[in-house]
Amino acid sequence: MGKYTFKGKAAVSLAAIAALTLTGCASVGGGGDDKKDGGDSGAAKDGGVVTVAETNKFSGANPGYTKTNLDINGHVAAMTRESFVNVDTEQKLSANEGFGTYKKTSDDPLTVEYELKDPQWSDGNKIDKADMLLWWSVLSGYANDADEEGKAGKNYFTIAGSTDILHTTDMPKFSEDGKKMTLTWGKPNADWEIAFDSNSLMPAHVVAKKAGMSEDQLLKVLEEQKKGDPESPQKQPELEKIGKAWDTSFNFTSTPEEKDVLVSSGPYKIENVVENNSITLKKNENYKGDAPGKLDEITLRTIGDATAQIQALRNGEVDIMQPGNVNKDTLDQVQQIENVNVQKGDQLAYDHLDLNFGSDVFKDEKVREAFLKTVPRQQIVDQLIKPVKDDASVLNSQMYVSSQGEPYQKAEEKNGAKEKYGDVDIEGAKKLLGGKAPTVRILFNNGNPQRVDTFQLIKESAEKAGFKVEDLGDPNWSEKLPDGDYDASLFGWVSPGVGTEMLSQIFKTGGGGNYNKYSNKNVDKLVDEARTNLDEKARVDQITDIDKHTFEDAYGLPLFQSVGYVATSDKIAGVDKYQPNQTGVFWNVSEWSRK
Amino acid sequence: MTSYILRRLITAVLILLGASFIVYLMTAASGDPLWDLYGNPNAQQLIPARVEALNLDTPPILRYFTWLGGAAGCLVPFADTCSLGVSRDGQEVTELLAFAMTQTIMLVTVGTILAIVVGITLGIVSALRQYSGLDYGITFLTFLCFSLPSFWLAVLLKEVVAIQFNDFLQKPVLSMVSIVVISLVVALIWFLVSFGRMRTRLLLAGAGFVVTFGVIYFVLATDWLNHPFLGIPLIALTGILVAVIATVLMAGLRNRRALYAALGTVVLGLALYFPVQYAFKGAGLLTVLALVVVLTAAGAAIGYFAGGYDRGQGARVAGVTGFFVALLIILDRFMQSWPDYVDSSHIRGRPIATANSATPGFTGDFWTTGLDRFTHLLLPTICLTLLALASYSRYSRASMLEIMGQDYVRTARAKGLSERTVVMRHAFRNALIPLATLVAFDIGGLIGGAIITESVFAFTGMGQLFVQAVRNVDPNPVMGVFLVTGIVAMVFNLVADLVYSVLDPRVRVKA
Repeated sequence: MGKYTFKGKAAVSLAAIAALTLTGCASVGGGGDDKKDGGDSGAAKDGGVVTVAETNKFSGANPGYTKTNLDINGHVAAMTRESFVNVDTEQKLSANEGFGTYKKTSDDPLTVEYELKDPQWSDGNKIDKADMLLWWSVLSGYANDADEEGKAGKNYFTIAGSTDILHTTDMPKFSEDGKKMTLTWGKPNADWEIAFDSNSLMPAHVVAKKAGMSEDQLLKVLEEQKKGDPESPQKQPELEKIGKAWDTSFNFTSTPEEKDVLVSSGPYKIENVVENNSITLKKNENYKGDAPGKLDEITLRTIGDATAQIQALRNGEVDIMQPGNVNKDTLDQVQQIENVNVQKGDQLAYDHLDLNFGSDVFKDEKVREAFLKTVPRQQIVDQLIKPVKDDASVLNSQMYVSSQGEPYQKAEEKNGAKEKYGDVDIEGAKKLLGGKAPTVRILFNNGNPQRVDTFQLIKESAEKAGFKVEDLGDPNWSEKLPDGDYDASLFGWVSPGVGTEMLSQIFKTGGGGNYNKYSNKNVDKLVDEARTNLDEKARVDQITDIDKHTFEDAYGLPLFQSVGYVATSDKIAGVDKYQPNQTGVFWNVSEWSRK
Repeated sequence: MTSYILRRLITAVLILLGASFIVYLMTAASGDPLWDLYGNPNAQQLIPARVEALNLDTPPILRYFTWLGGAAGCLVPFADTCSLGVSRDGQEVTELLAFAMTQTIMLVTVGTILAIVVGITLGIVSALRQYSGLDYGITFLTFLCFSLPSFWLAVLLKEVVAIQFNDFLQKPVLSMVSIVVISLVVALIWFLVSFGRMRTRLLLAGAGFVVTFGVIYFVLATDWLNHPFLGIPLIALTGILVAVIATVLMAGLRNRRALYAALGTVVLGLALYFPVQYAFKGAGLLTVLALVVVLTAAGAAIGYFAGGYDRGQGARVAGVTGFFVALLIILDRFMQSWPDYVDSSHIRGRPIATANSATPGFTGDFWTTGLDRFTHLLLPTICLTLLALASYSRYSRASMLEIMGQDYVRTARAKGLSERTVVMRHAFRNALIPLATLVAFDIGGLIGGAIITESVFAFTGMGQLFVQAVRNVDPNPVMGVFLVTGIVAMVFNLVADLVYSVLDPRVRVKA
């Protein structure tokens, strides 16, 4: 280290003088040009880029396929696919006339006429007969002939939902020009309006190419497919090829080399996919529908960590976030950010306590009723949900969630949940128990703090009435759910918001989601009736009747709806309502713009 | 020697085999690979599909050998028989690994190199000034960083260096009072960490004040943060500084020829400044590398031909100077693209990023995409560097202290060598020997990924791949990660031992 001496005093005094003279002006900087974003007059413009934070990784452009049925893939599909109906934030359906129109021409047999307006794929190929027929073949499972155990026969298309709605339809009839399709149901189905799910609409010309045939050949194969019969399965090798192409062609985690799988019929189309990281969509210039996009580009980027998402939002790296799991900490953080708007709402997901009808303790209806009387629902809501959303209330229906509005109110009036289980009634419970002290083992996810708190509150209250409550908390609770080795279960359902399929899944004897072995002949009958009832009003009546039965039978109790929110940078216009369904914030993507 | 290496390699293979068997069985036994499917409405199709795809009907022990068979295929070069199996979602593990490795290497390389360089420098400096304010300051800071939880440090960095800095960039104005306060704080730090007589310390503090004040004033007054530049004057100034420091450290200022050669290299770099700007148009990595190589080589040549009593020394000094001048010119070119980058529709005036490895959807030339990489890697790199500083600085400090107390250092001093020669040539080099093990080991561990940092900064590297796979009870990706990290760890272990014997003549490998 060389040492150099210089006139120290002089240097110091020089610095001091410099400092003094400079202190004359109050602040430094801000010179040069003014910032260009001065045009922030608040008026929305066309063009621009919007980025949305996602938790999961994009894995494919066909969310109708089981393996790629993920929220982020569905969000991409919401921007790249259209169908005959749109769903609004109250889960009401409206026709999407830019795509096509539909009309019910007969109730018995249920017959519906679909007419395509003139939609086209982003590569210019029209959406026509072949696309419609493929769409129907996938969703109806017309040729499926696999038996229950899946040992013989085959399901040609591996779809994420069920073929329930369209399964009884006949081969559709088309008009000469292929624009009009007439569909006749063998058995009426209440959900016919949502039969054609936009997620499963795949371009027939691309599927044909991937299956190694022309679009005309594909059309011919589909037209000639034989009705499947599990009793006598038959091979349909050409259809198998199409099914395989439909299943596998649209799965990609980075930009595919063949761009044809990126075609879109919605306002945006996939441009670029970066593995595990992001997916970028550009405006679809060939879009002919009613809802063209205003932005140039929308990017979904994967940020798994909640805090990281919030900081990215603060830093302007993402403009919109809609987390699936909401807790008070993160919500508080988001609400504190300046320049960010937060829209809160109730998710379609709700927590509920189900009693296991297969367990010894709850064979006796009195014990069930007594236990339910002790559940402190109001207290649970007050302690767990209200800190996040002040106007939260107890959920009083097993059938509807409160964001569905009218039908929920009707169910609440009729089902007697409020009168019977509105307040905790320890005395009443004691009376029903008559001095017995049954042990109740509750299964729940102890990896979820909210469930743990709920369990504690239920336990405290129930023990006052003389129950012994055992903790069966387990992070792998879902594995144990079908086993039935518990007396009560505490978990959440996600209601699809529209449709009646969950009725037979959850409440019908032997239903796939009927884990607590509930069985009531009246309910079974009502479920079947409601699911085939085409009159909406009468259907709501039947469903509220089912609701009433479940409370009379002391089935269990709905507790509360989870709180959801969407946080948006104030530079984005068009995101002003919370949409609780799976499409989420993307439900009105074509209205988004950058201010 | 050969037989020693051979023996080590054979043991390594055996260890890998045994360990992979155990890891496979442990992963397979860690849970139910179907856990996420129960309760899924399509469970009836999904469960058999996964059982078939992952061969779950076969007991894990047999499945291990299937996996081993596939993995053995990787040993055959160019045969395309390599298969490490598929993940739960049907992706080839080899592809997953390739992707995760690039992400991890990108994330940790710069951080590790910086940690090594800065850590060792700090350690050496604090050893040379043992028990001074500087020593205590460095010890305090490195231990502070060492004890910070990485997720917290990351969140803090994002808050200050990204969000608040970006806010500041919107209107880069500081009041005169705050500039003076900042400069005073810096002056105080200079005073505290400086050593020697009071007068020197006061002088240093004064210099610290003036320099800080001048830099801040300059940066703000010229709106440098939004329109950064170096230009000829700053490149010249920094280049001369580099030349002097390089000479001081590597040759001593008494070697005038080396100093002149280094300064000559700076002049050469400046002369190349304008022609190079044309070459940079539409340039890529190759042009940049070429410039670095050319200037380094030219510097070395200048140093060599400048002659003097030690040609090699001159060549080294001027070569290093050439290297840094090339970097400065490249940095200047990046800075020229900064306004374009910041004002692009994807960045919108907020350059420093908090998540992911690149701005999705952003496209541009070599310079703007390079800047995009920089803004994304800045925070994780700072984070990793700060966390790793302590171990390097402590090790190198201890090792340096030990060396400085050795007899041969006293001998060197006694025979009248300059302090610079004693420190740089006799002590420093030998102090690095024990660090070779540490560095080799850390580079081996590098590839394993930084699980927490990756997750906080939304990088999907090896750490994430591993954690996800373990969570999913998905043995194939776990084995993939294990295989890569295991092999790298073993190889670098061996390399460390070999390097040790090369560096330290006292250690000899017994053949």
